[in-house]
Amino acid sequence: MARRKIAIFVDALLVVTMAVAMAMVFFYAPIESEMGIVQKIFYVHVPLAWNAFLGFAMVFFFSFRYLATRDHKWDARAQSAAEVGVLFTTLVLITGPIWAKPVWGIWWTWDARLTLTLVLWLIYMGYLMLRRYVESPERRAVLAAVVGVTGFIDVPLVYFAIRWWRTQHPQPVIAGGEGSGLDPRMSATLWVCVAAFTLLFFALYGRRLEIEALRAQAEALRDDADAAQAQGARS
Amino acid sequence: MTWLIAAYAVVVVAVVGYGASLRPKRRALAEEIEQLKRPR
Amino acid sequence: MLRTAGIVLWKDLRIELRTRDAVSAALVFAILVLVIFNFALDVNTPEMRRLAAGFFWVAFAFAGTLSLNRSFALEKESGAGRALALAPVDPAGIFLGKCLANAVFLFVTQLVALPLFVIFFDVSIARVGALASSFALGSLAFAATGTLFSAIASNTRMRELLLPLLFLPLAVPALIAAVETTSFALGQTESASFWFRLLLVYDVVFVTASLLVFEYVLEE
Repeated sequence: MARRKIAIFVDALLVVTMAVAMAMVFFYAPIESEMGIVQKIFYVHVPLAWNAFLGFAMVFFFSFRYLATRDHKWDARAQSAAEVGVLFTTLVLITGPIWAKPVWGIWWTWDARLTLTLVLWLIYMGYLMLRRYVESPERRAVLAAVVGVTGFIDVPLVYFAIRWWRTQHPQPVIAGGEGSGLDPRMSATLWVCVAAFTLLFFALYGRRLEIEALRAQAEALRDDADAAQAQGARS
Repeated sequence: MTWLIAAYAVVVVAVVGYGASLRPKRRALAEEIEQLKRPR
Repeated sequence: MLRTAGIVLWKDLRIELRTRDAVSAALVFAILVLVIFNFALDVNTPEMRRLAAGFFWVAFAFAGTLSLNRSFALEKESGAGRALALAPVDPAGIFLGKCLANAVFLFVTQLVALPLFVIFFDVSIARVGALASSFALGSLAFAATGTLFSAIASNTRMRELLLPLLFLPLAVPALIAAVETTSFALGQTESASFWFRLLLVYDVVFVTASLLVFEYVLEE
């Protein structure tokens, strides 16, 4: 019951925060001088990116806990975080180019942040595809957890590699410096949006996790029913 | 301007779409659990 | 652990010396990719020559997956894999042996492909030591990540797809570093100390991480 109450609370908070966030984006935040109104994509692009990485960190943590405890609830959490994480990562990769095209005239430039996000997307996809192709649930959980842990360890290496590579071969930067001289109204709007999208992440994550919990419950009941039937047949 | 709308639209559609795809699964599982709980 | 590693390494090397499967498969494929590049693009221009290291490592990223795929395929087919998992030996040792064997195969393949590469792309080796280090560290990097994911992927229905899908994104830092260090060795850039360091760090991180998690991968 506590879970239901938390879920309802998160949903309510999400609706309110998102409403405030969108109001701020369209009515409060000023229009950026150089890029014009398109710049407002920034207010979804950045929070989506932040949460994409948060999701991956969660997959790492849950994978690690699974290997340590072998409790399937950690595996369910890892799967849910990965799915929502890949959704958010995909949206970062879509909103980035939609922003870049009108502003810089090109869809993609292999700039450091977007490239890192693309690699993250590929690692996430590998994780989810591995899960799809392993038959036994036990093996699936273990192998996925190994990928979840090693994938995350790779992220700092990818970050440093791409960053140095880009300083050596510079390209136009798409996402722009987040902290670099942001008008206070813009930064306030950004923070509210980050909060709203984080709540969105957890709302979706919770719903996805609930399905896994129900699935486990149904399976347990099915096993009980089979056992009872076998016993009845014997007597 | 259209770019801005396009970006926001994609986000909304994707998020709502994903959330909506979860609903029938949840319903199906909840029903199955009800059935399994019912005594024979 | 080291003794197990030594045994596994020696076993794989002896099999390879006899059959020469891994090296020849990777070699032919790598050369094929380099030739295809030549047809698809005009590689005889100075701009392309500067990218030569890139072409080389792309060819080896794909050829490497071919030979890595095989590293556990042999055991899976003969059933020796289960015996290996059940045997009371250190899983970390098994990983280390296989990883080093794969690294050796890749390195040897690169050395054999080198003359052809130099001829096709009209490059010259300015710094031999750097080239050797670049090949060695790069091969170890691919072998470390590749052996781990080869073992993981061999548990699935889609082994040939999953190995590159899992391995290549994680190998991105090593790939960039390998290309930059090889470029440096070909005399095309002036410094690459950061890249050598990154490659070394990558090797240490992934060999260590794989040693630690390999027991989970091997269990039945």
